[in-house]
Amino acid sequence: MRSKFVVTALIAGTILGGGAVLSGTTWAADSIKIGLTGPFTGGSSSMGVSMRDGVKLAVTEINKAGGVLGKQLQVIERDDEAKNEVGVQVAQELINKEQVVATLGYINTGVALASQRFYQEAEIPVINNVATGSVIASQFVPPEFKANYVFRTAANDQIQSTMIAQEAVTRQSYKKPAILADATNYGQLGMKDLTTALAALTVKPVAVEKFNIGDTDMTAQVLRAKEAGADVILTYAIGPELAQIANAMAKLGWKVPMIGSWTLSMSSFIDTAGPNGDGAMMPETFIQLPNTPKRKAFIEAYQQTYKIDRIPSPVSAAQGYDSVYLLAAAITQAKSTDGRKIREALENLQTKVDGVVTTYDHPYTATDHEAISANIPVFGVVKGGRVVPAHPEDLEGDKVLRMKPKST
Amino acid sequence: MEILAQLIVSGLVVGMIYGVIAFGYQLTFATSKTLNFGQGEALSLGALVGFSTVSFLIGNSVGVGFAYLLMVPVILLFGLAQGAVVERLGIRQAIKNKSESGWIMATIALGIIFRNLAENIWGRDALKFPSPLPEAALSIGPVRIQPMEIAIVVGALAMMLAVEVFNRRSIFGKAVVATANDRDAAGLMGINTGLVITFSYALSSMAAAFAGVLVAPVTLTGAAMGAVLGLKAFAVAIIGGLSSGMGIVVGGLLLGITETFTGYYISTGYKDVPGLVLLLIVLSLKPSGLFGKPTIKKV
Repeated sequence: MRSKFVVTALIAGTILGGGAVLSGTTWAADSIKIGLTGPFTGGSSSMGVSMRDGVKLAVTEINKAGGVLGKQLQVIERDDEAKNEVGVQVAQELINKEQVVATLGYINTGVALASQRFYQEAEIPVINNVATGSVIASQFVPPEFKANYVFRTAANDQIQSTMIAQEAVTRQSYKKPAILADATNYGQLGMKDLTTALAALTVKPVAVEKFNIGDTDMTAQVLRAKEAGADVILTYAIGPELAQIANAMAKLGWKVPMIGSWTLSMSSFIDTAGPNGDGAMMPETFIQLPNTPKRKAFIEAYQQTYKIDRIPSPVSAAQGYDSVYLLAAAITQAKSTDGRKIREALENLQTKVDGVVTTYDHPYTATDHEAISANIPVFGVVKGGRVVPAHPEDLEGDKVLRMKPKST
Repeated sequence: MEILAQLIVSGLVVGMIYGVIAFGYQLTFATSKTLNFGQGEALSLGALVGFSTVSFLIGNSVGVGFAYLLMVPVILLFGLAQGAVVERLGIRQAIKNKSESGWIMATIALGIIFRNLAENIWGRDALKFPSPLPEAALSIGPVRIQPMEIAIVVGALAMMLAVEVFNRRSIFGKAVVATANDRDAAGLMGINTGLVITFSYALSSMAAAFAGVLVAPVTLTGAAMGAVLGLKAFAVAIIGGLSSGMGIVVGGLLLGITETFTGYYISTGYKDVPGLVLLLIVLSLKPSGLFGKPTIKKV
């Protein structure tokens, strides 16, 4: 019985393996398949759609220039609806059915954490180009794991919360911050990161308030912060609820600065809060500003291709765009579409990649899969319906293009 | 004192929204002893149709305030029609079969269908509803309130009052009351009780749609906006009593104020808990609700 099972398994394995080789060769002839996943509908879709459009823009450019290894890149896009379970289905489909060589995407930390272990097991690299949860890129770090297949081109929450705390306490000398965070994983993990970052500056928040997605009335939360004597509001939430906070503050006739994670640059916050949202500050890896030739070209190409003036989420678009060029450079260097070889190439990238956010010079090592270091993001501020640099001097002279320090 | 007043006012506004939706539950329960569990979706649909109507009118260079007023009758008619559809598809057969639970599944299913429909037409993004009134808050004594919030309270009360007056004064309203009191007897008196039930469903969805366009300018509009509100309103209907219009208003205000008080005085993390505790207390001490008449079921 047992030996019969082994034989069956062997035969099945041979057929499956043979099948994979066969389909591999048929595809090798014309294109390289890349998975693309994110929420293209729902509350976080402005980020997902901008990311997707940034990715497609880069893919079109690369294909026009002759592709990678003489082949065209082919994008297989799937909507994960910001739902963990859908993300898992998408990951399995992209890995097993579409047999992608790598996947780009993920906006939501929860979806990324639920799905990327499938890529890890299949040894296919995945580049998170928007999701910020601190643990994402360090979930499978060696030596516990043989190799980590998860990379990132976004500023993680540790970087962001430290920046927020320093901006509020050190630069603007507020000493009584109140934290307002939503009840999701994103909000609560961010709230913890923020509390830790504040503690490092020996500041304790005077109030820590919570709210649910879809809450219509923020009076109680804002009143508590006000009565606790808060002189600044620090936020970790997404667009619609952030707008409710700004509107509740305006209603109560109380105006203190709002500083928070990069979601304060979401169009759903800017458009819904209107004038009440003016002055909100957030860390940004990219602001829609043509201050380098690469950025100028990117913004113009985006505007022309998608026929819009304001990019819905410039950060997502730029990070998505850059993730394609990093992947293409790695495939070129690996001279192969084998997942293991692409990962090795990413971890030891010899060519400098001239991106929109930064110039990537050896962005990853075997143990460090974060392309964005703490010195790269700058503060943006909402002004008249757009995000502009909060401290223009941060982007002057040689600071225009901020690069990750060489790892030792 | 200042804070207490502000919390009461904010609670009143939220409570009034719960009240209008719960009023819809009460309308159908009175005539047919059934409820529309898709009431939250009726609210979302009303708000979304209102959004499209207002956008269309503004696109044709009608002022925002005037566009909003023109939109209200459209919404009321749409609500009436939507409610009639729910009754026809989900309720009529269940009542005919004397099914105890068929209508529950049917109205939940219809709610899901309506939500998917709305997601396909308007997308899943939350939309900003243009506000017909200035968005700057007014100071009345120690309290700050947005003009639209006053409109919510006034509009909600006016609509409930209009329906009550209609039921008490008009001949058709008397048929509704008669059906509510005793459906079989009303039927024997020549009242078309089936039609009355259809009408009560139409009125119920109309109330929800109206609540949708009232609340939309102070929040965001979207297919999912009604889900939480519909559930809260259900709690209000239980607390206030499903057989009393007055109880519904009081229940709504009670829940709204409890929520803002808990949020401020205890913790914003536990905002939703006391409302549910209140619900449990009412259910165990006075199952027919604070203002409900006890029902005696003859077996």
